[in-house]
Amino acid sequence: MDEILRLSHISKTFPGVRALQDISFDLKRGEVHCLCGENGAGKSTLIKILSGAFRPDDGGQIFFNGNEVSLTPHAALRMGIHTIYQEHIVFNDLSITENIFAGSELTRMGVMQRKEMRRQTENVLRYLKSDLSPDIRMSALTSGQQKTVEIAKALVSKSNVIILDEPTASFSSQEIETVLNIVKTVKEDGIGVIYISHHLEEVFAIGDRATVLRDGRQVSMYPIAELTKTTLIKDMVGRDPSTFYKRERVKRGEVVLEVRNVSGNGVQDVSFELHRGEVLGFAGMVGSGRSELMELLFGSAALVHGEIAINGRPVEHASPKSAIRNKMCFITEDRQNTGLFLPKTIAENVAVANMVNTRQFITRPSDEAVTGEKYIKLLNIKAPSAQTRVVNLSGGNQQKVVLGKWFNTGGEIFIFDEPSHGIDVGSKQEIYKVMVDLLKEDKAILMVSSDMPEVISMSDRVIVFKQGEIAGELSGEELTEENILSLSIGLQKSSAFQ
Amino acid sequence: MSKPDVPSSSVQVKESLFKRYENLTVLSIFASFVAIVVIVQLITTGGSRFPTFISPVNIVNILQQVAVPGIVAVSMTMVMISGGIDLSVGMLASLVSIIVAMGISQWHLGVGPSILLGVVSAIALETIMGFIISRTRIEPFIITLGGMISFQGIALLLSNSREVVMKGELNFLTTNLVEGARDPVTGLILRVPPYVLVFFVIALIAGLLLTYTKYGRRIYAVGTSPRAAFLAGIDVRNMRLSVYMIQGLLVGIGATMLLARINTGIITLGQGLEIDTIAMVVIGGTALSGGKGNIVGTLIGVLFLGSIANAMNLLRLPSEVQFLAKGLVVIIAVSAGDVSSQISDFWGLKREQAKARNVEATAKKGGQ
Repeated sequence: MDEILRLSHISKTFPGVRALQDISFDLKRGEVHCLCGENGAGKSTLIKILSGAFRPDDGGQIFFNGNEVSLTPHAALRMGIHTIYQEHIVFNDLSITENIFAGSELTRMGVMQRKEMRRQTENVLRYLKSDLSPDIRMSALTSGQQKTVEIAKALVSKSNVIILDEPTASFSSQEIETVLNIVKTVKEDGIGVIYISHHLEEVFAIGDRATVLRDGRQVSMYPIAELTKTTLIKDMVGRDPSTFYKRERVKRGEVVLEVRNVSGNGVQDVSFELHRGEVLGFAGMVGSGRSELMELLFGSAALVHGEIAINGRPVEHASPKSAIRNKMCFITEDRQNTGLFLPKTIAENVAVANMVNTRQFITRPSDEAVTGEKYIKLLNIKAPSAQTRVVNLSGGNQQKVVLGKWFNTGGEIFIFDEPSHGIDVGSKQEIYKVMVDLLKEDKAILMVSSDMPEVISMSDRVIVFKQGEIAGELSGEELTEENILSLSIGLQKSSAFQ
Repeated sequence: MSKPDVPSSSVQVKESLFKRYENLTVLSIFASFVAIVVIVQLITTGGSRFPTFISPVNIVNILQQVAVPGIVAVSMTMVMISGGIDLSVGMLASLVSIIVAMGISQWHLGVGPSILLGVVSAIALETIMGFIISRTRIEPFIITLGGMISFQGIALLLSNSREVVMKGELNFLTTNLVEGARDPVTGLILRVPPYVLVFFVIALIAGLLLTYTKYGRRIYAVGTSPRAAFLAGIDVRNMRLSVYMIQGLLVGIGATMLLARINTGIITLGQGLEIDTIAMVVIGGTALSGGKGNIVGTLIGVLFLGSIANAMNLLRLPSEVQFLAKGLVVIIAVSAGDVSSQISDFWGLKREQAKARNVEATAKKGGQ
């Protein structure tokens, strides 16, 4: 096997963040090289460097077939480095053939060669052992079949390297099988495959080598034959817990929220209780159903089955309106689009959610301004006045405006979805402190977080999700990165390490 | 994946004057337009006469012409702030005028019930469109386009494609409220009919509604981000429905006023009304994408668009020129805000670059 791609000492810095540090990596022809690591380990950044979307910092080198190259998206494609991203990028109303040749249509004197394109598409589909007709519209295909088409597209344009980013996330086991078989076929053809997956079984099923990243650094590289799951997980986690944020504990009160056998919106049969004065964390892979559960609780998605009770009283949340009346608050992950009205002022943003609780029809902008100023002071929002437009604030200050909006409703059950996503370190600490203050006021918090140190340091208990179901609950001594990771990829907690 | 955060800083973006006071841009353009017309008039008359363009009689005249489109523009502002649009207002106004005229002169319902019938039909038809718009994901543009065509059909069917002539039963709506008053400058008789007053009262109510009520604030929220509004407990669907119902009410009132002026229910009565009102609203700074705009801006837009044709007449320009002038005004007024913010961004960038160069230069000096 000869080497096709080599990265040597690659780093990538964003303002304030070292996303990758001194990564060396190589790929041989006919090999599947797996990239492993948690959310935020730097896998996506590495892929974007390989596909030319990001330029690495000066000092590193990239070799393609032994020659040093600099990658741009165009150059990467010309060298046959093809990236297939997690989200399908397809034209739903076009046929398979049209999708495969979109942007690189075969033409003769400006006229499309439909027959030839169809023939090539059919050949490559048969080669991938798929019996799809080239004329089917993309919208009629399952996710697995769409992935097949994307790989077929890579093959038609004469690829040397195929990068698959989480190709099987949210696939059924049969669809996963299809993708794995295709990867095996492709690799036998001498193409190098970089494979990223949270499903460790897949890594062991098709990988030849595995590189583990953690916090932007390369931790280890193994031939699969010498690797065990235990070692792999140990390498993926392994931060020093003493560096985590230390939070003040608060005495736990009575049950405020009961969730019994809740299903719907991709969530299966979930039950738990939330006490006053505690943070109940929700860990798991991105897309494992945690945010979807929160939408069910908040009434922004329809409940199929199950019961929700607040303070012992059963409630039905037909819409966020009723949830807010029942003293629930939802700090969403995508604060710019779903949490804030960006072109509006701090005063207007803070006032909006409490409107369901007020009876009077008249609102005075001057009253809104007073409320706005109150939360600017209370939450230490860095803004000249309540008339500042939210769009002009930094991420951390925007998040504080969202908090102000919910505090103003007098809510008691707070849902934090990725509370510190895209926020600088200083604001992060302030938000953690605000969360603890809420607990002291006898309020309760549900926190969805993919940030391991955050989940572990902020939660009293953690529920781990896997594919829309609860995989397990952790608290106290058991609450470790290794246990969370094992549960979220489908191993038993602790047992694997003893 | 932890995204690189925008470095947090306590430094706040200083917004330009034009960004902070939304109506300043259009107001200054309007003021310059008035100034130009006045100056041209002064030059052509050699300064011997008071410029007729700003004489009270002419201003009152302009108000009479813009009152009806103005009333519709008020509700159009609300619809557009909520993120919608309504192309059907022109044909709906024609339909209402035919219903009211037929009610009075053919069905003999009496004046009051006929007007009520017209207004209620307008509200009902807008409610149907609003219901479809708020309950489906179909673009308001398409639904109201369909509405416009169907209303034309209903109007033609009702009237058998003929005009419905009245005997001045609605003249009470056009009486002069300031009987006997004369313009101190030109000595001509001043006429202020009730519908001019109605226009200002409606504009005032809508302005207060948008700024000082929960309902008004929520219209902005829905237009800015429907998803965020939904998650903040706002009933987005009923909010969107309600603005179309208000649109129906005001189109009904406006169409009745229009009928009173013309005395004939006819399909051409509301022709082009949608174009004029949408133009007035966007000149006034309301964004087609929703969430931005206000009634004061719309008032300026109404007066601005209404005074163009008038000014062209006074300057003895051929009437064909006024369409060109109107079109240019729409484009200039709407792009002015964007151009000014691009200019201020450009100078902001230049300043930053100069600062960065200075820092670099000092750093180099320090290193040697």
